[in-house]
Amino acid sequence: MPNHKFTRACAALAMTLVAGASLAAEKKLTVGVADALTGGGAVYGLPQANAVKMAAEEINAAGGIKVGPDVYKIDVIAYDDKANPTEATNAVRKLIDRDGVKYILGFCCSGSTSAVASFIGNEKAVMLVGNAAERSITTKKIPNLVRTRPPADYTGQAAGTFIARKGQKRIAVLGALDVGFYAQYVDSVEREIKKTGGEIIAREVFSLKDRDMTPQLTKIRGLNPDAILVVGYVEPAAFVYRQAVELGMNIPRYGFTSGSEEQFLRVTTSEQMEGVWDLRPTELTLLSASKNGIAYHANYTKKYNASPSPSSPYAYDQLYALKAAIEAAGTVDNTEAVAKALRNLAVPPQVVMQYQPVDGKMFDVNGQAYTSNGAFQWQKGKWVFVEDLPSDSKAYSQFLSTLN
Amino acid sequence: MKRFLPLLPWLLALAVLALLPQLLTVKYYLHLSILALIWVVVAQGQNLIQGFTGYVSIVQAGFMGIGAYGSTLIGLHFQWPLWATIAMAPLITALFALATGYPSLRVKGHYFAIVTLAFNLIIVIVLVNYSELTKGEAGISNIPKPWGGSREAFYYLALVLAASLTLLAALISRSRVGEILLAIRQNEDLVAAVGIAAWKYKLFAFVVSAMYAGLGGALYAHFQGFINPEIFGVAQSLDAILAVILGGSGTIAGPAIGAFLVVFLPELLRFADSFRLILYGLILVLATIFMPIGIVGIAKAAFARIMRREARHGG
Repeated sequence: MPNHKFTRACAALAMTLVAGASLAAEKKLTVGVADALTGGGAVYGLPQANAVKMAAEEINAAGGIKVGPDVYKIDVIAYDDKANPTEATNAVRKLIDRDGVKYILGFCCSGSTSAVASFIGNEKAVMLVGNAAERSITTKKIPNLVRTRPPADYTGQAAGTFIARKGQKRIAVLGALDVGFYAQYVDSVEREIKKTGGEIIAREVFSLKDRDMTPQLTKIRGLNPDAILVVGYVEPAAFVYRQAVELGMNIPRYGFTSGSEEQFLRVTTSEQMEGVWDLRPTELTLLSASKNGIAYHANYTKKYNASPSPSSPYAYDQLYALKAAIEAAGTVDNTEAVAKALRNLAVPPQVVMQYQPVDGKMFDVNGQAYTSNGAFQWQKGKWVFVEDLPSDSKAYSQFLSTLN
Repeated sequence: MKRFLPLLPWLLALAVLALLPQLLTVKYYLHLSILALIWVVVAQGQNLIQGFTGYVSIVQAGFMGIGAYGSTLIGLHFQWPLWATIAMAPLITALFALATGYPSLRVKGHYFAIVTLAFNLIIVIVLVNYSELTKGEAGISNIPKPWGGSREAFYYLALVLAASLTLLAALISRSRVGEILLAIRQNEDLVAAVGIAAWKYKLFAFVVSAMYAGLGGALYAHFQGFINPEIFGVAQSLDAILAVILGGSGTIAGPAIGAFLVVFLPELLRFADSFRLILYGLILVLATIFMPIGIVGIAKAAFARIMRREARHGG
């Protein structure tokens, strides 16, 4: 009898120790998302927040983040910043000061991102920027900030070469040119087409909330351009494509929008979109996607009952990059070490976008990642990847380092 | 003793606000409190033209922008000391307000509101497009912050300025000028009929209101360290109007209470996720319909009712 008692006591003790050990080893890592979940920027921000949540579930299901003997399961808190600088500052302050978050992801829009970037350097936190394309975000040498999306002018350069190669000389631009990174994209296009004797004959502006572009298009039609270039958020750009057809403008239409098929078809018909080019980073479309991209598309569609926006993997990739950096640094508490590990990271195998590493690293010395650029064309209801646009990430990285 | 009784709530509020940085363990609330104090300055200015004079101006955020960019650009280009640039902000804004106020105040009512709305739009368009100077939509980063960015120190600066400018607004409202402003609100034709040049007083209210906004804008810029045109759009001007209406138009405490509401309420509603703004809008609509005299108005009416009841029982 005493023997049984002893055995039971030993078993209970062993179970307590095992349970205790496993409780001590499995911990929670809370990451924050600050993004436009409502308002005009939500077409980019909401899919980004969804993508981070999905990546967190996948990582947790695969065992979490391993740091020494500990395993961290990821918990995501997402706050809406409405793509507004003050709201973004408030959201990030709440994440850092109240929720104790050290890693902040998301950031689809440039104004709100720049506001947070202006103070994040003083915080014990790491900021991973997604879709926000304003160049100056990664020219300030902020050691605890990295960005997965390349700046707009990096893509504009490749787009300009492509348009020049197509032989169109007189290009009319219609876009959200009061938004800095769209203007930078157009400036890069102009530099490239000028090399082959081309020119931009008009720079007409729409605001992100405009829906009737017929005045600008009528003016452009009067100038008899060889092609139009549309730069801006998905919805206004879709209205431009639709109204150009309605006005009988039968000329090539180029764009820089990164909208999904579903987003465009809310405004325009597939027939009206036929032949439109989107010259952008090689973001997610099924025809350009790798194995990871196809799985991402299927999982996202199943989970959220909607197709992912092409730019949403920028945020998905952020979490896998962060996981790899934390595991490499061997700490979740030392944000400086994690930020440093991000700068030294090779491209993780789970990412969706097709990154072009600089010196073998996903992020360059500025904290900037580069994807390849691609020419996509709308064909029979779908964005079809037609060809890669030649882009020199190393040369651009060196150029970026010279800016302040 | 009775003379000082009305000051008691003010002194209590000041004491609580002065102790706030020591009471708050989560610095996020300190951050919001600083923004709210900046909005107290802006809303007190809005109250001068809207609450006391009866002219609804929709350019307060535009004037904030002029103050913010004025202070920032003078500091960047002329290397003036930070305090000098902040002090210059209301003066620069006053010049713009003089230039815009003179033509705007020739019209009344809804027309005045529309003209000022147009001015706000123009200010934003200039800030966006004059990018050689303002850096356009990308905005200006790394704006110097006083005391190395200490939030506690900035809180006290904002508190001192908000309290001083609230006191100044109270003094104006109790002066002869204030009485004339109230008379303009009640019956502008009558004011003119007794030989008072109403336009001078309206212009005074408009310019002083803009100076408050300019100072608020400069404080915002040097607190946040980043500005871009979006921050100074019409939506923010509407927030200034709402702060005055919610708190109590034409009162001194009202704009202060309203400023805290327009900063804290959207943040407290974050639990509602994507319904947050719908909820915020609904609260504002209901508050405006059912509390047209604002929180201070309701509190005053309730206090008066209690006093009447006390007097009845006492008699």
